[in-house]
Amino acid sequence: MDRRRFLSAGGFSLTAAFLAACSVDRSPRAQRLLDLAEHRNEGVERLLFHHTTMDGAKSGAKIAGPAYPSYFISNTVPVWDEKVRGPWALEVSGQVSNPVKLTIDDLRRLPFRSQRVDHFCVEGWNAVAVWQGVRLSDIARVVGVKPDAAYVDFQSFDDGYHESWDMDSAMHPQTLIAFALDGHLLGMAHGAPARVHSPVKLGYKNTKYLTKIVFLPTRNGGYWSDQGYEWYGGT
Amino acid sequence: MTGRHHWIVRVTHWVNAIALTLMVGSGLRIFNAYPAFARKGEGFCCYPFEHKAIPDALTFGGWLGGARHWHFAMMWVLVLNGLVYLTFIYLHGEWRDLVPRRGDPRDALAMIKFYLFVTKTHPHQGKHNAMQKATYFTLPILAIVQVLTGLAIWKPVQLGWITAVFGGYVWARYWHFMTMVLLVVLSFAHIFMVFAVDPYSLQSMVTGGYREDLSPEARNARPLYHLLPRWRHRAAEEK
Repeated sequence: MDRRRFLSAGGFSLTAAFLAACSVDRSPRAQRLLDLAEHRNEGVERLLFHHTTMDGAKSGAKIAGPAYPSYFISNTVPVWDEKVRGPWALEVSGQVSNPVKLTIDDLRRLPFRSQRVDHFCVEGWNAVAVWQGVRLSDIARVVGVKPDAAYVDFQSFDDGYHESWDMDSAMHPQTLIAFALDGHLLGMAHGAPARVHSPVKLGYKNTKYLTKIVFLPTRNGGYWSDQGYEWYGGT
Repeated sequence: MTGRHHWIVRVTHWVNAIALTLMVGSGLRIFNAYPAFARKGEGFCCYPFEHKAIPDALTFGGWLGGARHWHFAMMWVLVLNGLVYLTFIYLHGEWRDLVPRRGDPRDALAMIKFYLFVTKTHPHQGKHNAMQKATYFTLPILAIVQVLTGLAIWKPVQLGWITAVFGGYVWARYWHFMTMVLLVVLSFAHIFMVFAVDPYSLQSMVTGGYREDLSPEARNARPLYHLLPRWRHRAAEEK
């Protein structure tokens, strides 16, 4: 083999190896392996999960304030139009003894708490904010969640955005149905009139523009989870 | 031909090479989703390239979600493989070739002097020279730090005590990145030295066998000097 043939053969095999490495991330076999790993990881994450482990934003950390990113999937900021849809209310239903519809006043009359916590985005950034809201575990007590409820689906009026959670994370004391951010009622960009906020889940799990909280016996995917982000998304 | 590397060392070495490459590639893809360290609303002191993305060609996994799945799958390969390696070298005694000894700084200095042409003959060495030893001893320690910083940013709430040890989420992310940089630098230095000083050691990491008559010491080899086997005679004369 002369030098030119050797070099071109070498170049060809290098290119082939490179292409193989590039496409391995899309092969069905690799996908099955990744699905298995995600399943196992969820097991580990559930094992690590404790209701007594709290997030506390670092003492020196600045409140993000206006730098707090916000996003929605609709083309424009989702706004609840009372003239069209009637007064907003949060439906709590599914595997519960007493399904309720909470108006914003009902929600604010429930015992609420204020917490200064982190927000962890799947992209890698974090932001500190003070959230005010009602513990979901308190709402769960009010509606009487049945024992076969193992998942909770948080639905919104943001173009069908929703994310379902495991019951354990939903009942964590820092999982709030929040209606105020940094001492002000939620703005339209941050999910008014009420949203889920918890430091125990990545940002995309925290549905904004809430309409329904549905307790379910089976999981129900979610907007980003269905597009390939981890369903569990715990921190 | 003498036996140099046990098959467990060879298998774990190459599994590690693949896993580490995929971890770095997918990690850089994850990093690119937010190629900065600052908490929202703050600045960050200690990274000159805030908000500058890594070139896509160096990343793996295609998109953030895909890269995360690869990262969280490959981490188990890396950890289990590392545990097999560390357990093996502990039980089988190879750790003795790697732990630092009192004479190591002096030996390393002698190697540097030889590489810089200050001295003429290759210092006497055993299986590894002092700088190799330091590298192979440091790499597993960096890997352990990398696993811990990784846990700190994967589970900043449930394993928040680890996150706190590294100075909180922002700093844990930073140390995870910087440790990666160190691992990559040392790995590239390792690969360069294999080809530039002791290419014959590649065989020992594949079949296990090593020809002592082709060792850097026998060839009196510096980086990119005396690479070919014919130098071994002259080296012997110089002794």
